[in-house]
Amino acid sequence: MSVLAQAIPAPQTDYTTIIPELIVLGTGLLIVLMLAIRRFSNIGWYALIAALGFAAAGIVAYVDLWPEVTDGAATYAFSGMVAADGFSTFVVILSCVAGVLAVLLANSYLKREGLDKAEYFALLLFSAAGVQFMAMANNLVMVFLALEILSVCLYVLSAWNRDKFASQEAGMKYLLLGAYTSAIMLFGISFLYGGTGTLNIAALAQFFARNVLENQGLVFLGMALVVVGLAFKIAAVPFHMWAPDVYQGAPAPVVGYMAAAAKIAAFAALFRILFLGLSAMEVDWKPLLWGLAILSMIVGSLLALVQSDVKRMMAYSSISHAGFIAIGVAAASAEGMSGALFYLVTYTFMIAGAFAVIDCIGRKDEQYTKYEDYRGLFAREPLLAAILTFFLFALAGIPGTSGFVAKFVVFEGAAEGGQWALIGIGTVAAVIALFFYLRLIVLMYMQDSTERPDLAETRARVAAGPAVVLAVTVAATVLLGILPQGLLDMAGQAVFAL
Amino acid sequence: MEWFEDSALTIATFVPIVGAIIMLVIPKDKEDQLKATALILTLISLAVGIGILFQYDYSRAGLQFEVDASWISAINARYHVGIDGISLPLYMMTLGITVLCVIYSWNHFPEPHNPKMFLILLLILETGMLGTFVALDLILFFVFFEIVLLPMYFLIGIWGGPNRKYASIKFFLFTLFGSAFMLVSFIALYFLAEPHTFDIVRLADEGLDIARSTAVWVFAGLFLGFAIKVPMFPFHTWLPDAHTEAPTVGSVVLAAVLLKLGTYGFVRIALPILPEAAQTWAPWIGLLAVIGIIYGSLCCLAQTDFKRLIAFSSVGHMGFVMLGIATLTPTGINAAIFGMVAHGIVTGMLFFVAGSMHERYHTRDIPRLGGMISSIPRLAGILVLISFASLGLPALAGFPGEFTSMLAAYEPAAGLDAAVFRTFLIVAAIGTVLTAGYMLYMLQRVAQGPIPVEWEGKRLHDVNAVEYVSWVPLIALTVVLGVFPGIVFNVTNETVAPFFSGIFG
Amino acid sequence: MELHDYLPILVLLVVALLFGTVSRGLSALLHPRDPTPEKLDPYECGIVPERDNPERFPVQFYLVAMIFIAFDIEVIFLYPWAVLVRRLGVFGLVEMAVFVAIVFVAYGYIRREGVFDWAPRKKLDRTLLLQRYRREAEAARVASGASETEAA
Repeated sequence: MSVLAQAIPAPQTDYTTIIPELIVLGTGLLIVLMLAIRRFSNIGWYALIAALGFAAAGIVAYVDLWPEVTDGAATYAFSGMVAADGFSTFVVILSCVAGVLAVLLANSYLKREGLDKAEYFALLLFSAAGVQFMAMANNLVMVFLALEILSVCLYVLSAWNRDKFASQEAGMKYLLLGAYTSAIMLFGISFLYGGTGTLNIAALAQFFARNVLENQGLVFLGMALVVVGLAFKIAAVPFHMWAPDVYQGAPAPVVGYMAAAAKIAAFAALFRILFLGLSAMEVDWKPLLWGLAILSMIVGSLLALVQSDVKRMMAYSSISHAGFIAIGVAAASAEGMSGALFYLVTYTFMIAGAFAVIDCIGRKDEQYTKYEDYRGLFAREPLLAAILTFFLFALAGIPGTSGFVAKFVVFEGAAEGGQWALIGIGTVAAVIALFFYLRLIVLMYMQDSTERPDLAETRARVAAGPAVVLAVTVAATVLLGILPQGLLDMAGQAVFAL
Repeated sequence: MEWFEDSALTIATFVPIVGAIIMLVIPKDKEDQLKATALILTLISLAVGIGILFQYDYSRAGLQFEVDASWISAINARYHVGIDGISLPLYMMTLGITVLCVIYSWNHFPEPHNPKMFLILLLILETGMLGTFVALDLILFFVFFEIVLLPMYFLIGIWGGPNRKYASIKFFLFTLFGSAFMLVSFIALYFLAEPHTFDIVRLADEGLDIARSTAVWVFAGLFLGFAIKVPMFPFHTWLPDAHTEAPTVGSVVLAAVLLKLGTYGFVRIALPILPEAAQTWAPWIGLLAVIGIIYGSLCCLAQTDFKRLIAFSSVGHMGFVMLGIATLTPTGINAAIFGMVAHGIVTGMLFFVAGSMHERYHTRDIPRLGGMISSIPRLAGILVLISFASLGLPALAGFPGEFTSMLAAYEPAAGLDAAVFRTFLIVAAIGTVLTAGYMLYMLQRVAQGPIPVEWEGKRLHDVNAVEYVSWVPLIALTVVLGVFPGIVFNVTNETVAPFFSGIFG
Repeated sequence: MELHDYLPILVLLVVALLFGTVSRGLSALLHPRDPTPEKLDPYECGIVPERDNPERFPVQFYLVAMIFIAFDIEVIFLYPWAVLVRRLGVFGLVEMAVFVAIVFVAYGYIRREGVFDWAPRKKLDRTLLLQRYRREAEAARVASGASETEAA
């Protein structure tokens, strides 16, 4: 008995480092508690609480933590389970922004579809906490736990429209494939532990600094499997198969959030594990990321060309974006990394905005998501068409939008490392990508919908929530396209602190 | 006038886009207000431009009205603008042409009408074009260069002819393909320079200490971007489609200004920054240029579509411009800039006429036209005059540029094979004959002869007031530049002569 | 630790696979083919099945099973805590109180959601039930009042 008591030291707990996460989780619990006591019929109140929770967490992270973490080195808490540094705090703030956007998008959707259950917001909050812990995780088990918290919430959210077959299918597919890759990742973690004797990411780096492995097979296998697990979450080719079905079936507001949140979380974990833990194995993981980046960009862009459903097309576009972000990681430099962070921020805004439009145009039951339904949209809904066009151009990386700056900084990071082949392929992929965005734009502007009288019958309604989202995301996309300096500085600081 | 020096270019460049934002809040059905706003804003822009014209110190080489401010410091991109003898004529031409386009479209809006969006796009387009001509930072240049694409894409795609979808996408993808590689080269230049910089002036002044083979590859990226925009043979295939399908104003802006962005890019960026690579590339550029001249002319002879004919003639004329650039001599580059301005005015004017003819005949099919001199004499007269200018008749604007360009090809820069360029000269001379041939052949079919049965007895109204207002400045310039080419040459030479003789010895 | 240390696992895997395939294959080859209806029925602990398969279970079984697992695992945390409770002192007490409170919130939530309402009837909202009860009471009162006046 006493032996056991001495073997386990009392954990060092420093709650100040995880205040934003506690706020987010606490808000989620508050909603569950409220539901346990009494259920209000108007979910607007829950939405307000969730939005306030996200906002409070984001503000605390920015005001309280950000100045501290950018000054000095990382602080570790909870016996090295979590690390608080510029990088994690940056991601925490970003996930809070994504959360607020998601809440605003969801409120009107849920009411319209008669799916107004407040659990939606609790799940959003929990999943965001998963994203945040993933960015902070300094231990491979912690990475896994955070990933599962995030993923389980996303599985449920994908199947939220449970009377709709496509949504069920999306949730089920995501769950089965996600669980499978989680197992693979866990397998990889066990190999890493077997090879190095530690699960702590910082300790991994120390291990490699002190030891030279005669045979790297075990560690390499572990690293590769972990990369596979995370590549699944970012939907990088060849682990992208789930994305099109899930994006198509899941409710548009969920996709607008999920596409960004899953990418943010998985890229954050990739950064931390590969840069901080396995930087000694750079020669080994760089080619992996190269392959992922190139395949994702090319395959994503090419397959997007032949789609006929807008949500599905956006899925392939998101795959190709995963490739572009992966360029930043593959650059294996501070510049590339801060570029990728910047890219994630711009992507969060663009994808939320794009899916806000898709949701409004889809109307009840999301019945209008086919290309054919976008025919002549400009004549019917000029404003929505113009906004969607703007986001499509931003996603394509046209100058004047944040998408251009994002692609540019990522390319610049790669150029710094002399990876011109990657840049060349990225350039070609960007041009191909433009083509499928243009296809949709042509349909919207240069075709008339006279043979589809059903489209003209009802006008798309833009509720207050999506309207705010659209205003914010358009403003952010323009602003970050013309004056990106502030955010680039922040992204630079976030990485510099490491 | 310190403040004017500091802000004139910024004001002139961004006033149109401010106008576009103002117009966004004006309701769609208040057409007169919309048109008036667009006209006033473009006129303000032009007025500032004329102010620049007066304040500009013509006796000084180098950049004036320079502004160099921090923009995105994380990637070292700066807001650096300035104007010199190379960009001044093009800048002024852009300001003028846009005003004329707004006037011309006053009650000529093609289907599906919607003047609000049409004019907003035109104004965004103007800012993009103006910005490209004054940007002195590679990133800033790229941003403006690309911004031009979007409004033009929509102008062609929404207000264009029957095949507009294909044409607009082809236009967009071709140019974007080229400029994507151009961007890669820009990034390469940034990293090859010590210290890293995107500043065009510093890159040119300090020179790059790099291997010739690297430079040749970087130049290849730039070449792809600019040559597609020019467009040079064999990258020209987007041009006839885009020109033919575009609405009149779109064609005019496309011909007058957009094509110049490519040639301007060569003169401003490619040659000064990578002179050695330019020498390696020059004979090939010259070769493609003369192929373009001959090929463009031969295609013109075979065209039956009036606008398509003018489009192919652009390929030929831009060939002369590129030949001038390829000689790498101050004379050649002076000729090129003159050629750009002249082509802008003359071909822009030709597209105006083509648009007005289409409005009257509702066809561009040359075999169906004829006898314009008898039926609509004034329009026919203008067409004849402008066609003569286009074929390079002395004393009209087309001549000095082409002539000087060929003159330069006789004596290319040191280090280039004179024999090769003299061969080019001979081929180009044959090209001028062909140019005269197809222009006269076109005139014979369109303007001369009896009125075809189809149009007999039909009343076709002659040039109206709006058309006069928008055309007279261009017609006047066509004559003035032909008689006094010095007004452009003197401006350009002051900058070009010291600058390029310094680079290419 | 090297990769070859995992060799036993591989061997075990191969043996397991062989055992499965060999025994399945052998029985397929050797077993007598004499089917009767009883033999074709699914095996249910030797009892002759009374109902057709597949049978549908009430969803409550699954819910309760899942919730049991969740709470069961949470209880495990109490054991190490109980061992160290003296050392951890007030801090430990507060931590565990928070933990139990969170679990309790979850319990309250699932109870409210009707997971423990063990009957195949439609779950009714308490307020709705109350309303219906009042309505019925009112109707009864009116009816009895009517009969009273009739009698008078």
